[in-house]
Amino acid sequence: MKLYIKSFFVLIVLSITSCEDVIEVSVPSAEPRLVIEASLDWKKGTLGNEQTIQLSTSTPYFDTEKLDPLSGASVKVKNTSTGVEYVFIDQKDGSYNISNFEPVINNTYTLEIIYSNETYSATETLRAVSPIKAVEQTLEGGFYDDVLDVYIFWDDPVDEENYYMIRFIEEGDLLPILEDFPDEFVNGNQLDAFFEKDRDSDDPEAEFNPGDVVDISLYGISKEYFNYVRLLIEQYYSGGDPFSAIPVKLKGNCVNIDNPENYAHGYFRLSEFDTVNYTFVEQE
Amino acid sequence: MKNIVLGLSLLMGIISSAQSTHSIRGTVKDFNNGETLLGATVFLKGTTIGTITNAYGFYSLTAAEGTYTLVVSYMGYKELTREITLNKDQLINVEIEESSEQLEEVVIVAEESEQVSIKSPETGVSKLKAGTIKQMPAVLGEVDVIKSIQMLPGVTNGGEGTGGFNVRGGAVDQNLVLLDEAIIYNTSHFFGFFSVFNTDAIKDVKLYKGDIPAKFGGRISSVLDVHQKDGNSKHFAATGGIGTITSRLALEGPLFSDKGSFLVAGRTSYAHLFMKGIEDLKDDKISFYDLNLKTNYNLNANNRIFLSGYFGRDVFDLDNIVKNQYGNASGNLRWNHVFNDKLFSNLSLIYSKYDYQIELEFAELDWIADIKNYNLKYDFGYYLNDKIRIDFGASGILYGLNPGEVKPTSETSPINYLKLEQKRAFESGLYVSAEHQLTNRLTAQYGLRYSRFNRLGGQFVTDYVNNQPVIYNSELDIYEEGDASGETYYSKNESIATFNNLEPRLGLAYQLNESSSIKASYTKSSQYMHLLSNTSAVTPVDVWTPSGKYIKPQLSNQYALGYYKNFKNNMFSMELETYYKSIDNRIDYVDGSDLIGTNTIETEILNGEARAYGVELLLRKNKGKFTGWFAYTLSKSEQRTLGGNAGGPGINGGKWYNTPYDRTHDFSLTGSYKLDDKWRFSSNLVYQTGRPITNPDGQYQYEGLSIGSYSDRNESRLPAYHRLDVSAILTPKNKHNRRWTGEWVFGIYNVYNRKNAASISFSQNQDTGNNEATRIAIFGIIPSVTYNFKF
Repeated sequence: MKLYIKSFFVLIVLSITSCEDVIEVSVPSAEPRLVIEASLDWKKGTLGNEQTIQLSTSTPYFDTEKLDPLSGASVKVKNTSTGVEYVFIDQKDGSYNISNFEPVINNTYTLEIIYSNETYSATETLRAVSPIKAVEQTLEGGFYDDVLDVYIFWDDPVDEENYYMIRFIEEGDLLPILEDFPDEFVNGNQLDAFFEKDRDSDDPEAEFNPGDVVDISLYGISKEYFNYVRLLIEQYYSGGDPFSAIPVKLKGNCVNIDNPENYAHGYFRLSEFDTVNYTFVEQE
Repeated sequence: MKNIVLGLSLLMGIISSAQSTHSIRGTVKDFNNGETLLGATVFLKGTTIGTITNAYGFYSLTAAEGTYTLVVSYMGYKELTREITLNKDQLINVEIEESSEQLEEVVIVAEESEQVSIKSPETGVSKLKAGTIKQMPAVLGEVDVIKSIQMLPGVTNGGEGTGGFNVRGGAVDQNLVLLDEAIIYNTSHFFGFFSVFNTDAIKDVKLYKGDIPAKFGGRISSVLDVHQKDGNSKHFAATGGIGTITSRLALEGPLFSDKGSFLVAGRTSYAHLFMKGIEDLKDDKISFYDLNLKTNYNLNANNRIFLSGYFGRDVFDLDNIVKNQYGNASGNLRWNHVFNDKLFSNLSLIYSKYDYQIELEFAELDWIADIKNYNLKYDFGYYLNDKIRIDFGASGILYGLNPGEVKPTSETSPINYLKLEQKRAFESGLYVSAEHQLTNRLTAQYGLRYSRFNRLGGQFVTDYVNNQPVIYNSELDIYEEGDASGETYYSKNESIATFNNLEPRLGLAYQLNESSSIKASYTKSSQYMHLLSNTSAVTPVDVWTPSGKYIKPQLSNQYALGYYKNFKNNMFSMELETYYKSIDNRIDYVDGSDLIGTNTIETEILNGEARAYGVELLLRKNKGKFTGWFAYTLSKSEQRTLGGNAGGPGINGGKWYNTPYDRTHDFSLTGSYKLDDKWRFSSNLVYQTGRPITNPDGQYQYEGLSIGSYSDRNESRLPAYHRLDVSAILTPKNKHNRRWTGEWVFGIYNVYNRKNAASISFSQNQDTGNNEATRIAIFGIIPSVTYNFKF
């Protein structure tokens, strides 16, 4: 909600000026940094044994070779409540796998990565999420009244602070859409989120049409991860526009114990998620 | 109070009467419309005795008995001389005539009368007379005070489409903007494209860039003092215009059998009327309007009352998805009273308000925020003798702030009702200042302001463990919200926090010869109200917040030095000024701050400092067919925000970084050429270093997205901003109706269609997956036609 209020100015400015173009800009180039994508996500109704951690290094901003995978690291996760250690196996392509991970709601885990004689460490607690209780297609909902959209609904627990991340993707799309959602103004209520695409008069496929398939996932996340991902999402979608906050160096929870200056990008997160796969039908 | 004043004047009267002198006093007015003229020079020829009229056109002079020639002069007016015999105290009201027959003479001149500007110990003062702003080329033909002052040295803004202005590297909220003494909280319409000042209703504008007189307080960068016209007291008159964006109409005339006058002015945009006819836009509405009102009544020679008001509104409705409206409202009731030949006073009761509302249909919520204040002030001007003039007075401002209220707009809305803590504060000030002519060559201005700020209770304030609203997480190297330890309730008659500051203001002017002088000044000022904004552009949503338990007042020290010279019988003039200022308690926002809808702003900010310095040059041609000026500023503005009580290195690793208002070079050239009685041409040329921004220095893959990593704060810059505007003004000869005068203004803004970047945003192309930089340029080449009339 907070983001909405300011994003509207972008919308307004854009609506009265169409002078927008892609230009060449020279940007500074920082030394490559380790990127840790350690998202141990547990889908509702599964065992959650199979998990992958992805390591890479950052690249110059405009490089089209965006992923520079990193192998040869030691990757371990430990459940601090039970003391059980899970060793991830290097697949030599930047991914590190395990097939016997045991997720437990509200247990705390630590991550340890050793690479090039430097140790990175992070701690996080596994968060639960309410189930998606309904999924509904409408015409009137969303931003536009004459474009198809799809809603998911869930119940927010009343007696605790909850934070959500929602991931939308239409099958065939290159990139997902991420949204963060705190229960700050809506605690204890039935909540919803919608997925809608704007109409494009030149491309009838741009908006949702009957037969289109979307995946929507709802993640329960920690307050700390929410603070991180909220900023990541804000900077991703509006980095540099004059009505969003000045972009900052985003710091996750993976700390370089041996050389704090050489911190890693990314995050060690554990969250439960629920997902729906929805196919649009003719609207009645 | 009155007794004290009388006692004081009596005492001073005794001192001065011992020298067998007499006083003359009066008001200087325009011969044609009866408007009082402020800043007009009144002096006795052949002596050093002289003064300038105050904000109400009042002057007072004292000299030894004898015969003199009284000279009244004012830029753009015919000089008036009158022989007087000074053998008793007397009242001399004068009316002077405009020297040309322009439709409306709004010439920007740096300071009115050279004779006085050389002598006056004020530095960094610029004045705009309501007249030739209309002749300056303006975007879409909309004449704009705020845009015009940006042509002066030391004044910039965040770019096209952003509100407010920046003075000498200061923030937008550090400007005190007054419309007939009422505080205007948001100076822009249409998200910054146009300003709230309707030039038809304005008499003149004075900008103090640093050497702020002691009678003003509460802001540390500048004071923009805008005076509305009093209304024509000679005859009924109408002024108006039909432009591309707005139409205007102002009516004025005498009232109460010539004992008073009135002015009513309205302006409205009308694009929404056409939008109704366009199928795609029929549900959208974008409009703004404003209404100015002023009336005054002369009770007798010594008493005059004024009532003025302003109401402005912006409405933005996008297909019923977003409904948005905001605006300022103000009113002021004033009483001018002349106690005697030497003592002038004005009592004002002022109200002003700014509110902002947004309704998001899809999110089913309605958001409202506002700030309002009541201000009572009493100002005195005492003309002690021919060497000393004293100003003194007191003021009290009561603020009420609603930082935000969220309401669900439907039964099914998931939004819970929320009202943030309402805030109250009382700001008071006492001041005295004296302008003292020490020798024929040396004039000094001493001022002292005592300001006091009480943050009043009537709300809960959060307490924090170890009194730390922000704490440094050394492991992750980030700043986080402190742990709340509870809440304290302060009742309405308790103070949450109190601040006191003594603010000395000192100015010296030394006249080197007939045509040149040097000046020096020192100003200390404090600011208790702050506009919270963690974005690079000021938006109407930004919330004002008072100093209190966690937010300290901003304190500024400014030093300025200047050299002033007039050439060729005042045909040309030059001003060269340099300044240095340092500001304590300039807050900045920690990484990831979120300012909307929170009661605990203190958890998002750190206390820092700022400094700015620069050199400003202004060269003007004041007379002749060609008039205009060249302004150049070389400056630096930066800030540093250490961890302090929160621990850690602070923002940007504790290093100094550019403020968003830093502009290394700022160059403006503006000129107007009068070909004949029919045609006049004018032009602006502007060049400015690009605004500091923060660019990405790398990318990485996360959640299937290509995320940019960012460099140090404000380390990069937008490309330089530059543009050229031209306009031609045609005044057709009118034979049939002598009273009706009309003019056509043809303008082209941004002649060579420079795509000046208002911003550059960095994002991933959704189809190719590659990163790209997108420039938003607001105004390309824009032609416009405006018709103005007057009768």
